[in-house]
Amino acid sequence: MYYVLNLLVYGAVDAMACLGLSQQFGIAGVTNFGFIIFQAAGAYAAAILSLPPDSANGGFQSYLGGWSLPFPIPWIGAAVAGALLALPFTFLVGRRLRGDFAAVGLLVTAVLVNLLVTDYRPFLNGDAGLAIVPSPLQGELNPGSTGYQWAYAAVVIALAGGVYWFVRRITESPYGRTLRAMRDNDRVADSLGKNLLSLRTAMLVTGGAIAGLSGGVLVGFINTWSPAAWTYAETIVLFAAVIIGGAGNHRGAVLGAVLVPLAFEEGSRFIPNSQNLPPNLIPSLQWVAIGLLIVAFLWFRPQGVLPERKRVIAMPGKAAASASTPAAVPGRAPPSAGQGVGVSVGQGDGVSAGQGAGVSVGQGDGVSAGQGARAHGAVLQAVDLSRDFGGVHAVSGVSLAVRPGTLTGLIGPNGAGKSTLLALLAGTDRPSAGKILYQGNDITGLPAYRRARIGLIRTFQLASEFKRLTVMENLLTAAPGHRGDSLRGAVAGRRYWRGDEAAMITRAEAILRRFGLTDLANSYAGDLSGGQRRLVEIMRALMTEPAVLLLDEPMAGVYPELARRIGTALTGLCREGMTILMVEHELAIMDEFCDPVVVMAEGSVLAQGTMAELRERTEVVEAYLVG
Amino acid sequence: MSIFLASVGFGLITSAVLAIAAIGFTLQFGVTDVLNLAFAAVMTAGAYVAYWVNVSGFSVWIGLLVAMAACSLLSVLLNVVVYTPFQRRGSSPITLVIVSLGMALIIEFGIEAKVGGIDVSYTMGQGRTFRVGGLILTTVQLVIIGISLVVMAGVHVLLKYSRLGKAMRATAANRTLARNCGIRTSRVITLTWALTGAMCGLAGTVFAIDIGSFGPTSPDLFLVLILAAVFLGGPGHAYGAMLGALLIGIATEVSAAFIAPDYKYVVAFVALLAMLAIRPAGLLGARA
Repeated sequence: MYYVLNLLVYGAVDAMACLGLSQQFGIAGVTNFGFIIFQAAGAYAAAILSLPPDSANGGFQSYLGGWSLPFPIPWIGAAVAGALLALPFTFLVGRRLRGDFAAVGLLVTAVLVNLLVTDYRPFLNGDAGLAIVPSPLQGELNPGSTGYQWAYAAVVIALAGGVYWFVRRITESPYGRTLRAMRDNDRVADSLGKNLLSLRTAMLVTGGAIAGLSGGVLVGFINTWSPAAWTYAETIVLFAAVIIGGAGNHRGAVLGAVLVPLAFEEGSRFIPNSQNLPPNLIPSLQWVAIGLLIVAFLWFRPQGVLPERKRVIAMPGKAAASASTPAAVPGRAPPSAGQGVGVSVGQGDGVSAGQGAGVSVGQGDGVSAGQGARAHGAVLQAVDLSRDFGGVHAVSGVSLAVRPGTLTGLIGPNGAGKSTLLALLAGTDRPSAGKILYQGNDITGLPAYRRARIGLIRTFQLASEFKRLTVMENLLTAAPGHRGDSLRGAVAGRRYWRGDEAAMITRAEAILRRFGLTDLANSYAGDLSGGQRRLVEIMRALMTEPAVLLLDEPMAGVYPELARRIGTALTGLCREGMTILMVEHELAIMDEFCDPVVVMAEGSVLAQGTMAELRERTEVVEAYLVG
Repeated sequence: MSIFLASVGFGLITSAVLAIAAIGFTLQFGVTDVLNLAFAAVMTAGAYVAYWVNVSGFSVWIGLLVAMAACSLLSVLLNVVVYTPFQRRGSSPITLVIVSLGMALIIEFGIEAKVGGIDVSYTMGQGRTFRVGGLILTTVQLVIIGISLVVMAGVHVLLKYSRLGKAMRATAANRTLARNCGIRTSRVITLTWALTGAMCGLAGTVFAIDIGSFGPTSPDLFLVLILAAVFLGGPGHAYGAMLGALLIGIATEVSAAFIAPDYKYVVAFVALLAMLAIRPAGLLGARA
């Protein structure tokens, strides 16, 4: 009976810890190799909050604090301690540091903190650890009684249930979607206006609080806590549990907690303790088994026993759209044809400008027509912008003014500095010298996510979709000002944000229809073809309602027809008032859609004008066609 | 004053051992892109191989050569059987770090399962004791410093003048581009594992010689020093690792003498976190 109780309490504590880790690692992609020290912090905090001063028991152990505080203060203190411990580590998880370096930093921290606590006795009684930690309410109740222990198990299981409810509420919210997007590609999430530092800090703090609580609950039950209970390797056990159960699925985390730590720590009791075996053999082999399990699962079943669930989003507008006038849509089957369910396919093959015109304003095959009337002055301006990599001047002294409402093309031979220039303008890279003005304001020092929030959005040359999010989720992630896209909003619950969500889904649907990808809305973006992924990226950028869109070769690797469809859609957007700066290699595309066109070579602007003008200038022809 | 000098002496030996390991680790990471946390476990394997040779009646210096060969082979196997398949599948760097941690457990506790938890030491003489301007060093310690200097010079010559070294640098800078330039990158990577594996076995054995007696988990904390040295100099940067090893080795031993022996790792730890926070590219890390 005692044994079953033990199993229940340990299982619930491990489940809590695994849920915290699954939230950090599986959902947000924060690899916290120091997770166990947060549990340790909670356990120690609960211990010194509930213990009497260290002189009380004849001084056989020495520790800080000793406040004899009544239940539930030690448990609350445990959660708070875990959360507070996370704060010093926020510097490791910012924008600059690679995830694997941060993980190494946390691992080393875990090793060192354990060493220090072990060696420095006055702090937390060193190697021997703390003993006779009071159980909750032990003055009022009898902790030795069976009834008390059952009640304890019930409370801990309820707490684990509460933690499950809490992490699920976060994960299934728009905020959770943002976390998963960051996990899939943090640089892109940054460029869409997500503050990585604050997202990761929030995850370290909430995960730390959960870990701390689990430690506090555990120490109340076993009444003792020492450095041997939280060596760095214990974190690996929890990682094994989350990986085996299924990172990214909280049910998997609970399953993993039952399968790994519990079986690991408790299962070995059933191995007959023969006298012939060396004393260290069984524990050593257990560690070997943990290592083998981790490697084998990462190879054979990286998604775990219970894989991440696909979040299918129902689209209210879909039936209506396909029923009404398909002519209002640049309606075509998505490139992976054979799927032509909802959207009309009967448009024929012509990709004339007229088709894109359905998007908004009237006809016209050139863009130049409406442009003379537009306001002059620049919406985005580079002043003497330079970027050096070592001795290479990737961009040197570029001055450029992008007029509002234009689809400006940027061409140049490989290595001309086009992508670097785009990165500088978007804030994903920092200039060595020069200034960037946006709507008249100097934004040179503004980080990428802040620029994104004021309407300056970029796409990337390499595919940058969030692979393990559906197309619809990719779009929704980019939606700005979503009420549910904050920790507070997520905790407030679905009722608080579902209005925003519905509005965003409607908007996303409209964009999907415009690009003819409605049928793929609930497919994983990682499963799409190259061209479709480019579309997802452009659509996602449009969801942010950008004022200025910076596109890095949006048509690279896209079959010509689709490329022209994209071009048509883009000119339509410009007519609606958007400004687009587009890097492109295909001169035919430039001819058809872009005006003006800027030519770069060797880090500098060589010329600009309409394509017709540029063709007259020999130095341009030489740089581009010969160079 | 004499305590200071003595601690500098200890520091030099620690630096010498650390430099061998840190250069191996940093080359491994730089060229192959694997942040191999199983490095210390392979070192342990090397130390035990030398021990087994030693207890079979041979000199520990022969054991050292056997350990180098064994660790070289083990590292190549580790790469061919585990890391390369994961990389080929496009696993993220963080997945590889987790895998390497798993391999560390397998190797380290596999050894413990075999040898048990008791510390062992080599049978060897320490040779004469020399006093050099206040420093007190044994012959063995001088030999360790000598080996380390040879390794550093060798790595310098390798990277600067040999074809393989240049191919390694090219592969480190840009694997795809290197392959397109006609460098057989997969062979370069295999050779890198063989070479750094040998350094790992060397480091493991001289580490065990230096600390006197060792057990299966002894090099665990040494990994902290290796990481500190590597990140101080800049990950992937061989000269940075040499500088980092020198600084970390002396700093830890001097602080051990003047603060408390138990806290010598704190210096390394603070250096590591400070570098991660302020300058992840390392002291010499401006270059790629």
